[in-house]
Amino acid sequence: MKKILGIFTLLMVVCLFTAINNPRFLTPYNFLNTVRWTSLFGILGIGVCFVIITGGIDLSIGSVIGLVGSALAVLLTQKHWSIPSAILAVLVLSAAIGLFHGLLITRLQLQPFVVTLCGLLLYRGLARYITDDQSLGFGADYEGLRLLVVGKVPIPFSSTISLPAPFFVTAAIALIAAIFLNKTIYGRYLQALGRNELAAKYSGINTDRMKMLAYLTCSVLAGIAGILFALDLNSIQPSGLGEFYELYAIAAAVLGGCSLRGGEGSILGVLIGTALLRVLYNAINILNIPTHMEFAIIGAVILAGVITDELVKRFAAKRRAAQAAAAS
Amino acid sequence: MTSMKPFISLLSVVAALACFLSEPLHTQAQGAKKRIAYVTNGVDPFWDTAAAGVRTAEKEFQVKCDILMPPKGIVDQKRMIENLLAQGVDGIAISPIDAKNQIGLINEACLQAHVITHDSDAPGSKRLCFVGMNNYKAGRAAGKLVKEALPSGGKIMIFVGRMEQLNAQQRRQGVVDELLDRPEQDLEKMKFAPPGRIVSGGPYQILDTRTDNFDYARAKANAEDAMAANPDLNCMVGLFAYNTPKCLEAVKEAGKAGKIKLVGFDEQDAVLQGIIDGHIQGTISQQPYFYGYHSVRILNALSKGDRSVLPKSGFYEVPIVQVRKANAEAFRAELKKLQAAGK
Amino acid sequence: MPHTSPLLQVRGVFKSFPGVKALRNVSLTLGHGEVLAVIGENGAGKSTLMKILGGVQQPDEGEILLDDKPVRIGSVREAASHGIALIHQELNLSDNLDIGANLFLGREPSRFGWINQARIRSDAQTLLNEVGLRHSPSTVVSTLAIGHQQMVEIAKSLSLEARVLIMDEPTSSLSQKETDQLFQLVRKLRDRGVSIVYISHRLGEVKELADRVVVLRDGSNAGELGRSEITREGMVRLMVGRDLSQVYPRTTHSPGPTLLQVQNLRTTAHPRSRVHFAVKEREIVGIAGLVGAGRTEVLRALFGIDPCLEGTITMRGRGLENHTPADAIQAGMALAPEDRKQLGLILEMSVLENLSLASLRRDQHRGFLNRRAETDVCLQTLKQLQVKTPSVDQVVQFLSGGNQQKIVLGKWLAMKPKLILLDEPTRGIDVGAKQEIYRLMEQLASEGLAVLFVSSEMEEIIGMSDRVLVMHEGRITGELTRSNLSEEAIMRLATGEVAA
Repeated sequence: MKKILGIFTLLMVVCLFTAINNPRFLTPYNFLNTVRWTSLFGILGIGVCFVIITGGIDLSIGSVIGLVGSALAVLLTQKHWSIPSAILAVLVLSAAIGLFHGLLITRLQLQPFVVTLCGLLLYRGLARYITDDQSLGFGADYEGLRLLVVGKVPIPFSSTISLPAPFFVTAAIALIAAIFLNKTIYGRYLQALGRNELAAKYSGINTDRMKMLAYLTCSVLAGIAGILFALDLNSIQPSGLGEFYELYAIAAAVLGGCSLRGGEGSILGVLIGTALLRVLYNAINILNIPTHMEFAIIGAVILAGVITDELVKRFAAKRRAAQAAAAS
Repeated sequence: MTSMKPFISLLSVVAALACFLSEPLHTQAQGAKKRIAYVTNGVDPFWDTAAAGVRTAEKEFQVKCDILMPPKGIVDQKRMIENLLAQGVDGIAISPIDAKNQIGLINEACLQAHVITHDSDAPGSKRLCFVGMNNYKAGRAAGKLVKEALPSGGKIMIFVGRMEQLNAQQRRQGVVDELLDRPEQDLEKMKFAPPGRIVSGGPYQILDTRTDNFDYARAKANAEDAMAANPDLNCMVGLFAYNTPKCLEAVKEAGKAGKIKLVGFDEQDAVLQGIIDGHIQGTISQQPYFYGYHSVRILNALSKGDRSVLPKSGFYEVPIVQVRKANAEAFRAELKKLQAAGK
Repeated sequence: MPHTSPLLQVRGVFKSFPGVKALRNVSLTLGHGEVLAVIGENGAGKSTLMKILGGVQQPDEGEILLDDKPVRIGSVREAASHGIALIHQELNLSDNLDIGANLFLGREPSRFGWINQARIRSDAQTLLNEVGLRHSPSTVVSTLAIGHQQMVEIAKSLSLEARVLIMDEPTSSLSQKETDQLFQLVRKLRDRGVSIVYISHRLGEVKELADRVVVLRDGSNAGELGRSEITREGMVRLMVGRDLSQVYPRTTHSPGPTLLQVQNLRTTAHPRSRVHFAVKEREIVGIAGLVGAGRTEVLRALFGIDPCLEGTITMRGRGLENHTPADAIQAGMALAPEDRKQLGLILEMSVLENLSLASLRRDQHRGFLNRRAETDVCLQTLKQLQVKTPSVDQVVQFLSGGNQQKIVLGKWLAMKPKLILLDEPTRGIDVGAKQEIYRLMEQLASEGLAVLFVSSEMEEIIGMSDRVLVMHEGRITGELTRSNLSEEAIMRLATGEVAA
């Protein structure tokens, strides 16, 4: 909880700063846009959180998005598959990718970094191959399906505000993920193996199976996000869709309290971390800061936040120790 | 007369033999086909249309063409050009991503092959000529479309993938100069208004220029954020082909379709559809088909030693076309025909 | 004239850490060419005192005199310049480098930045000969057995030509033979005039080696014993402040029916040897042998960690084939591994989470955690084993070694196993906690369980086992019962001199 508090404070500070400098930051339109983007990117963060908890990493997320988006566009617009079968097919594809990663990492004992780095290249190449490297648009034929992303769901008891549909998709995923991690024995197994895989194995936990599950989850969630991104943009560019999104996901997860050493991670933290990144991008536009400054600003704000968090933690630890010493 | 018969039959045998012999001769000629490479600055439907022109010229002039689209920007493009030089192509047409900093690379290529630029020029390099439109003129034409959409003035934002590219800078300056009724500038000695600062004068005010580095999601988010920050925004100009469709998505979802005017470049189907639907004021087509076609034509002639194809000014200007609601349907039909011909 | 004044004096040293007063007015003297043993239970302050001498930590109060002159030992480097070398309890080697590189790490003989490999190799060889380690200096440390790694560490400190050598539990991972070699070395160094401060839990060793014993208890001096006064009872009395009349609570039981039957077992570590043995209910069986004899591997194979190349394992009449640890647990086995911190515990997790890790599966509600069962199991185990912890949410890395070992055992007791496999169950824990572990083993056997344990501590093997299996190079070279059990008999079998 304390880890989340730090990042949450930083989020609030950035929001406050932006709102003071341009009150239009607080308009419902802008708020809901930020919620929509946070929801879309949040799905990726939740996925990578599972992998990071096991002490692994997934660098292929962006390429999985690209491949899934491209495959969806090809199946729908060129092969004219029905919507349910096309969606099922791309989800099976992303699950197969996750299983493939898991098998290589557990059975062949390859390093997750290497496996998923190769995946990053492989799936991007496949996406460009199946589309002949052409951008594909959905046109106006899939407006019904697109409601999944661009639709708005009115909140009960409020006539003015309706939340973007992806919010509910992500909320459902986050809820299931949080329950899985905190309330089931498998969530405990994941955390145990992330901290000490051998000790978990010695306790009778099938660590390989749990790791496979983590990579499977990560890729399937990347696949779901891939579908949503493709629909949101209404067109896909096989070489660019999802590029670098794994870094946003990993950054959000780490900001939200996941330790790259494994064993730690909180779904709420990941969502707040994602929100922070999206708000920073939004703030740069809202405050009319030149776009070429964005990386410098985002890097600086995050670094400042992490440093402050660490200093506050040390200060608190020192004070607690002093109090304990005084009490004894 | 009968004596003619053997002669004729002999003739036909010779003709048949000639035909037969000419087969291997012909393939030999094919083996000596000039090899020409057409390097774009990225991946985009825009380049698909240009590729159609390349393919048409490839058949017409009997050359062998490679079309290379670097997906990852300047490093990728450099690698591709170096590979081409290593393979020994006869001619290269390049659309430089960052002209100022690629002069060295282009000059190096000039030592080993005939090199021209297309779409975006590299002034100061040793390229033989530039095939393209006058991006500044195109920008001014887009500015005219904005004026048509907002006759009494308004607030405008510009969206683009990267501002490093010369064509982006020239287009933007064209839009700015036209809206502010400034005199036409000379391409060689052009002064650019710095992006990121509000430019105003007369009834038109250009609030900002946002870049997205070719990330479609960023392009859409930029348009959304522009609407959030500026409730009184009247018009969006997308300088690159994909910008205007992403702006249109954002405008539609905000329920402001038709209220916020859109002006674009190039001829993506979503843009043409938007014009037909009345959501987009118009677009500037630079006829990329002819970029591809003329690049191949000129390089083929050059590699056969014919330098008469080079324009004196070094600039082969492909005329632009303004597409509005009135001519959109016809333009789209013609475009489809051209693309089909390219394949 | 021989030295009359002591080489090193520690006077009235105080040291506190947040929440703990580690040392209170501790003093000691060390003569020239003397082996001084410093003993005490875990947490008595031995390690802190040694870290102060080694320059790792600074005292809050008090002074250190070397040759009657007060000195300040601000860093490990300063300690080294005074001729004080500290061999840490935890191995301090870079195990990805070879022996030679480790021996001269940070002080490589070099010229213009180029490392002189030939000199490293020859100097390293000399040092290795001195400690009696028969490995090439180019052997990578990670491929060495843990006992041999320890000897590299000792060789490293020898190369520093120290006047004072502080050894913190140097024998905790050595076999008997290696320990004997070490003792020879220690005596050789002492005769050369080097003074040695020797810290150990193994009172037998202390008795054998020390000229004088200083006992610490709760951060203070508890007493001192001269050469003639060193007895086990005397030391224990000073350490725990009371008499421990009986260290090994073993009583004899009549063994029940056969529980575990192992035939023709071949492990990956010793693929050419086959192992046969059986364990009966209500029986404590010890496995003795030198480091590397293949004892741990047998336990690992039984528990399904390593694959068995061949052989049958029958547990309660049911065969186990290609089994996983989960299958072994299902069959009624439990394993408390040798390396508690790496294999037995998840140090960053709480007492509760560690205790319930093995039983989660059994107590689940359709995959969901059963918090009530988890807490019940935990509290019951804590009570049964008398674990000292401030709360169930305490992170286990902050518990003492003895309490940590109880958590490892407690995790398995909750599963109600039939056979408990223990690998070095008392390594690195203090006398009081050791005795609690022994009592627990005894209690489990009397309740009808079987205990199969591996130990390098001869006294423990002799004191606790009904039957002893002795291993040598992957084979069981003999079996000893209480009637013919002796240290000599075990050593003969363990070194492969005879096969019974």
